[in-house]
Amino acid sequence: MRRLFNLLLLVTSLSLTGCGYNQFQSLDEETKANWSEVLNQYQRRADLVPNLVSTVKGYASHEEKVLTEVTAARAKVGSMQVTPELLNDPEAFAKFQAAQGQLTSALSRLMVVSENYPNLKADASFRDLQAQLEGTENRVTVARNRYIEAVKQYNVAVRSFPNNLTAMMFGYQAKPSFTVENEKAISTAPKVDFGDNK
Amino acid sequence: MLACWKSLLLGCGLLFAMAHSQAADGLLELPPLQTAVTDLTQTLSADEQAALNQKLSQFSQQSGSQVAVLLVPSTQPEEISQFGIRLAEAWKIGREKQDDGVIIIVAKNDRKMRIEVGYGLEGAIPDAIAKRIISEQIAPAFKQGQFYQGLNLATDSLIKLIQGEQLPAPTKKQRQPHADDWLSMLPILMFAAIIGGAIFKGMLGDFPGSLVTGGLLGGLAGWLGATALIMGFIGLAAFVFTLAMGGRGGAGTYGPYPGGLGGYSGGSRGPDIFSGGGGGFGGGGASGDW
Repeated sequence: MRRLFNLLLLVTSLSLTGCGYNQFQSLDEETKANWSEVLNQYQRRADLVPNLVSTVKGYASHEEKVLTEVTAARAKVGSMQVTPELLNDPEAFAKFQAAQGQLTSALSRLMVVSENYPNLKADASFRDLQAQLEGTENRVTVARNRYIEAVKQYNVAVRSFPNNLTAMMFGYQAKPSFTVENEKAISTAPKVDFGDNK
Repeated sequence: MLACWKSLLLGCGLLFAMAHSQAADGLLELPPLQTAVTDLTQTLSADEQAALNQKLSQFSQQSGSQVAVLLVPSTQPEEISQFGIRLAEAWKIGREKQDDGVIIIVAKNDRKMRIEVGYGLEGAIPDAIAKRIISEQIAPAFKQGQFYQGLNLATDSLIKLIQGEQLPAPTKKQRQPHADDWLSMLPILMFAAIIGGAIFKGMLGDFPGSLVTGGLLGGLAGWLGATALIMGFIGLAAFVFTLAMGGRGGAGTYGPYPGGLGGYSGGSRGPDIFSGGGGGFGGGGASGDW
């Protein structure tokens, strides 16, 4: 009887540590941590926008279309409720992504327009803001890639045999990941207009 | 039954290993980190390299923070920022908890450069400042072909900025191997306890057999990088476990067996060997061209 009990104890502990359960815990935490890093960097980018807009306004106030686009996209991003449940709701997730993508392309259009104003380009605070924005965009990319990587590892762990038996037992499901849209394609540069409005 | 578990365990280990391996196809192979300055373009003369190297290694020893320089012909097909983060993740410049490393990357034929800043220095070297160092110090010098002067100026500025940051003093202690290795091996250790325990108990009798098993396993855990305390604990646990496994119940015997020796790896670090200390990077810094 005692021997049987020992064996049972051994089998359960082995199956939990060796075959997934603890691995799910650490990978699950990993994806959560990576996700908050993504949000963190998106937030950082959103915080940069007001300063950037006001600086550009100072030199190129008649570029209203681009400026309002950025402001509107920023407002939309700011109004989104980002909860952890977002990760398990593909529709909300897609909306969130679309809003961030719009801000990305609006910002890059703003930067393209800024190229036409030598005084603005020479402005020290604008140059600093530009460097911050570049750095932040790069951080967003890094954070997103790490999130994708973490989700991939988690999903591999959940789906592969024999872990999937453990996953089924405890209700761990594969997580959705970013579909890496080609944001560059959306953000096509506007036609530079050499008309009489300059 | 046991054989079945053994194969399952092996399977898990394999899958875990598979999830961790990545193929880097078509991308530039990352150069190994041996000295603070790595020049794959033959741009810097031997004297210039030695001077930069000495400055940077000295700084690393004095402050604990690390600054490294890499010159490559090109980072194609990757952007320099993609290559930069890949390099930073591999080199792990800076200390593990402080994340205080900086890498200057120059892609000579692309005429692009980047300053990659570790997490811990994003406050000391904000992106805007990194950008200024690139556009005001490095780029003008590079335009005139004065690569050493540009890098010399830039490393001076970076060192000044890092020294302005309140970071802990460097420790003389060797970095220990990752203490997580033994954790993932725990099931294997248990497995070994059962097998080894059965063998030794058969050979030596209950108590001595358990004692030997405990000692051996403690040593094994130590070899995998566990600390002395954990080694002792594992040894004790294995001892108790083996004793309890079948046969008569152990009467709460105390196993004063501290496990084997081990747990430390690597000797003292020579002054000219430059290696990363586990610093983390998150894409901070700035890129530019000349």
